Amino acid sequence: MNYDNEEINKTAQLLRSRFQTLTNKEEILKAVELRALFDAIKTMPPENRSVYGKELNNLKDELRTLVDTAADNGSADLPPIDVTAPFDVNTKINNRATTLTSDFGSKHPLMSELERVLDIFYLMGFGAVESRELDDDYHMFTSLNFPKDHPAKDDYDTFSTIDGYIAPAHTSTMQNRILRTYRAGLLEGTPIAAVIPGRVFRNEDLDSRHEHTFYQIEGIYVGEGTNVGNLIATLKTFLERYYEKTLEVKTQPFYFPFTEPSFEFALSCPFCDKAGCTVCSQTGWIELLGCGMIHPNVLKEADIDSERYSGFAWGMGIDRLVMMKYDIEDIRHFESANLNFLRQFK
Amino acid sequence: MRVSLNMIRQLVDFDLPPKDELIEKIGAQLGGVEAVYDYGQKYKGVIIVKVISCVNHPNSDHLHLCMIDDGGVVKDVERNADGHVQVVCGASNVRANMSAVWLSPGTIVPQTTDNDPYKLEVRDIRGLKSNGMLASARELGLGDDHNGIVDILDQVDAGEDFATKYGLDDIVIDIENKMFTHRPDLFGQLGIAREVAGICGRQFKSPSWYATKWDITETFNSELNFSVHNELNQLVPRFTAIGITGVKVTGSPLWLISALVRLGQKPVNNVVDITNYYMLLTAQPLHAYDYDKIKLQNEGSVNLIVRKASPKEQLKLINNKIVTLSDKDIVIATDKHPIGLAGIMGGAECEVSQSTTNIILECATFDMYSIRRSCMELGIFTEAATRFTKGQSTQQNLAVLGAVCGDIETICSGKISSNLVDDKHETESSSVELKTSADFLSARLGMNIKSDEVSKLLSNVEFECNNNGNFIDIRVPFWRTDISIQEDILEEVGRLKGYDNLPLLLPSRVLTPVSKNYLLKAKSLIRSRLSAAGANEVLTYSFVHGKLIDGVGQNKELAYQLANALSPDLQFYRMSIIPSLLDKVHAAIKNGTERFAMFEIGMTHTKERGLDNENLPVEDQYVGLVFAANDHILFEGAPYYMALKYLNVLTGGEELSFKPISIEDQKYAVMCPYLQGRSALVSVKETGQFLGILGEFKQSVTSKLKLPKYCSGFELDTTVLADVIMKESSYVPLSKFPSVEQDISLKAPVDICYSVLYDFVHQVIADEAPKNTTFKLTPVDIYQSPKDTNYQHITLRLSISSYIKTMTASEVNALLDQVSLRAKESLKAERL
Repeated sequence: MNYDNEEINKTAQLLRSRFQTLTNKEEILKAVELRALFDAIKTMPPENRSVYGKELNNLKDELRTLVDTAADNGSADLPPIDVTAPFDVNTKINNRATTLTSDFGSKHPLMSELERVLDIFYLMGFGAVESRELDDDYHMFTSLNFPKDHPAKDDYDTFSTIDGYIAPAHTSTMQNRILRTYRAGLLEGTPIAAVIPGRVFRNEDLDSRHEHTFYQIEGIYVGEGTNVGNLIATLKTFLERYYEKTLEVKTQPFYFPFTEPSFEFALSCPFCDKAGCTVCSQTGWIELLGCGMIHPNVLKEADIDSERYSGFAWGMGIDRLVMMKYDIEDIRHFESANLNFLRQFK
Repeated sequence: MRVSLNMIRQLVDFDLPPKDELIEKIGAQLGGVEAVYDYGQKYKGVIIVKVISCVNHPNSDHLHLCMIDDGGVVKDVERNADGHVQVVCGASNVRANMSAVWLSPGTIVPQTTDNDPYKLEVRDIRGLKSNGMLASARELGLGDDHNGIVDILDQVDAGEDFATKYGLDDIVIDIENKMFTHRPDLFGQLGIAREVAGICGRQFKSPSWYATKWDITETFNSELNFSVHNELNQLVPRFTAIGITGVKVTGSPLWLISALVRLGQKPVNNVVDITNYYMLLTAQPLHAYDYDKIKLQNEGSVNLIVRKASPKEQLKLINNKIVTLSDKDIVIATDKHPIGLAGIMGGAECEVSQSTTNIILECATFDMYSIRRSCMELGIFTEAATRFTKGQSTQQNLAVLGAVCGDIETICSGKISSNLVDDKHETESSSVELKTSADFLSARLGMNIKSDEVSKLLSNVEFECNNNGNFIDIRVPFWRTDISIQEDILEEVGRLKGYDNLPLLLPSRVLTPVSKNYLLKAKSLIRSRLSAAGANEVLTYSFVHGKLIDGVGQNKELAYQLANALSPDLQFYRMSIIPSLLDKVHAAIKNGTERFAMFEIGMTHTKERGLDNENLPVEDQYVGLVFAANDHILFEGAPYYMALKYLNVLTGGEELSFKPISIEDQKYAVMCPYLQGRSALVSVKETGQFLGILGEFKQSVTSKLKLPKYCSGFELDTTVLADVIMKESSYVPLSKFPSVEQDISLKAPVDICYSVLYDFVHQVIADEAPKNTTFKLTPVDIYQSPKDTNYQHITLRLSISSYIKTMTASEVNALLDQVSLRAKESLKAERL
């Protein structure tokens, strides 16, 4: 590495060769020559300071790396240990490493809730498949009946990698795979019933209500004679079990390319029983998820006869369920690893 | 999408249901209502008046003193003997006998209602009383014009309600655009009116000017010569244009301003306002060019060329922004250069202004995908583009153009004076025909519906239906470019009928029980075991900063990089879990947590793992855990053994083997952060499968991430771990006889590691123990004298019992004698 400033370059060479001879490698960071270079800033014309300062910091980083690397390759402070032993040498039985007690422990609230949601769907006869975190345009869009360059894509601000892969913006990215996987069973008379939990990504700015990373659970059901009434009944049944109470539900027309018809699904607020509260913004209703009858093109894309079979699908956010349940004020807590937040969830 | 109920009312021939009922119906059957604006409230008490007299204010050189006639409608206001009211007015255009708009005392100035409502009072202005004010357009919230008061030119009566006269007694609702992504027709009031009729179960009839073709048989004098050359027949399937002469460009009439304002559009001038009005009405955008400005620019001839922009070509738009185009953008150009960005925004150079007298009106159809790409790349989103990107039909251009010409004649005195240009590359008879059946619709909806009802619902919104028993033949109207298959009809029928009375039945299911997902079940168990050991489950982002990857010694080249990251913090897919956790340690300690174990169960991606059978990056499942403690807390022993403790809790006694990591191992991303000499590769003893890595972290990592001294962790392959922890317990029968315990201490050279010694002793006991016995061998102590660092003393405790008798101490002694003999021979380890 060469430095443009001659003084810095000269000092760099000097310190590098001195470094080899040192027993205590840390000393190089306290070299008087280095100190002198820093002191020189004070007497320098202000317009030169920024370039010089930058180079000087680079030199300091270079030396720090030398010190760290030396330490990585064996350090007097940290001699090798016997990694096959159950505890360290010369430790008394009462002072050996022990894990913390269970009262410190916590499960992530999103994960506990996901487990609870999954358990209900298992009981209802749905299998579970995890979603991917890195996928392609075919699964995210094409297989779901999104025409190329279609404005419907605008509603999914997706991240993509420079190699052209996609960070899925919805768990529907797994639909085609699920349909293909369970197709054989369907032909033998077993309806496809699966839920797909997973982490999804949207390219949007963070605030207390918006995260670029969140969790969804997708559901798919395909069989002969499946209808809109089945879709609404299934979601209502799930929600009534989840909230352990009788609920009213309603639909609102919506648009997704991969379902026809498509709906936004709302339930009567389980926290106030429609009396109006902060969770439902005094409306008595909570819009919870998007759903619809699977578009025939989506079935066809998985080699399923769309004349004979029909089905429904939905996608629901887990973060929202948990925020409502505990009245959590900021969605950003979830991925913050803030222990003061997490330790409240046993 | 803003919808004016007054405009809807004008387009349907029945009385709309009450407001709240209608809004609920729209929500349930058309699309989510995001907001409701009550204009009637805003213009409450605003009155049209006649100015009876207007004289100069005695104490001012610019104010006027007016007496106005409000027809006596306003109560509680001071009147003269004739019943007229005194108002002071500063506008230069105020004069006797004009009709104006009066805001009486007690009225809230409409412009201020949304922010900081301002209530008028009787005020003394330079010694004379003013009862409220005569209002300008700006004060009425009807545009920016503040150069005088509103001058009503229409036939009006003194005391008429201003809002009623100009349609401002309106409810405007805002429906979520997302719902209409596939519905080009619903971006116009006309389309919404049709749907409102449909969901109310009433017949809709499009206005005749829209439904019938514009009768263009008459020939016009062709004073304005121009040509159109469309180079892009695919992307611009229809381009119609016509020239109009003698246009007087002024402000728009009040009814038009009122309509635009309610629909959220800013009034500009009468020509532009008329084109915008028709866009808001029919969803068909139009554009007007100044004919003479084109002529001047193009040296005398007026040629419009529809073409792709050349790379780097520049265009100044009517918002005065200069855009640099690419060959993906469609432009309208003269022979010289572009004068409009097709379907998005016109150019500044040839825009219609006060001086304009001749115009060319364009009414074209552009490819939705192409317009969308241009919008995305240029970052320009306009009302016109919003409509074109939904895929407008090519079959409404002439009707709309005809209607606009008519209004320009009425309002701006402009006369058509060119031939109609109609460049068209799609046949008009291409309307979609479909066949469906009542049986199909009933089965998919889950309710019984007859073909008669279906055709009634559809013909209400102007589909042509022919019933043939159970079957229905349908001709789809041209504006419904979204309908092509039976399922699209299903959506229409369900929505128009409403889902309120749909029978809710669960689907049938087979009784085969489902298996729980194996890996999810394992993850649940991992979660339970670690949290029971006081560890905290965290979730961190899948994306990390390049500096973090560098900082732990991983190679960024092998990480999948986002092309459109939100910030450098989130630029790379993480290659392992541990760096994300280490990144959180410093903050947790600063936050006051003295000691903690945090773990995450997640996915990782690295290019070193290649592609899977779907040709997609392999997704690895890993569990990472980090234990850390504040530097003030003193622990005995290396932190390594704390992570080991957690590993043992997690794996529940499975026999594992540990091997120190080598430089060779550290070429893998997951190994990079770990310190040699104090980290181990972990594998499952029974199967030899690689389970993961456990240890302390490199000095460079510690210093970069400000880790405390006591810090260690592990990262395990979740799929391998799953097999370990999901294994059924194995049972060893209990003995009825007491067990005998005895310790053995061996002094072994330090180069013999613990596991070698332990395994050796275990093997000897297994070989030499009497038949029908069962035993356990557990570590008690490892000691090294500071005076003799070449050896260490390892003490193990044997607990043995027989299934057939009580074992004697001498039997056990004999066994341990064997052990010490053999250990000395093979390992040079002496019994103490």
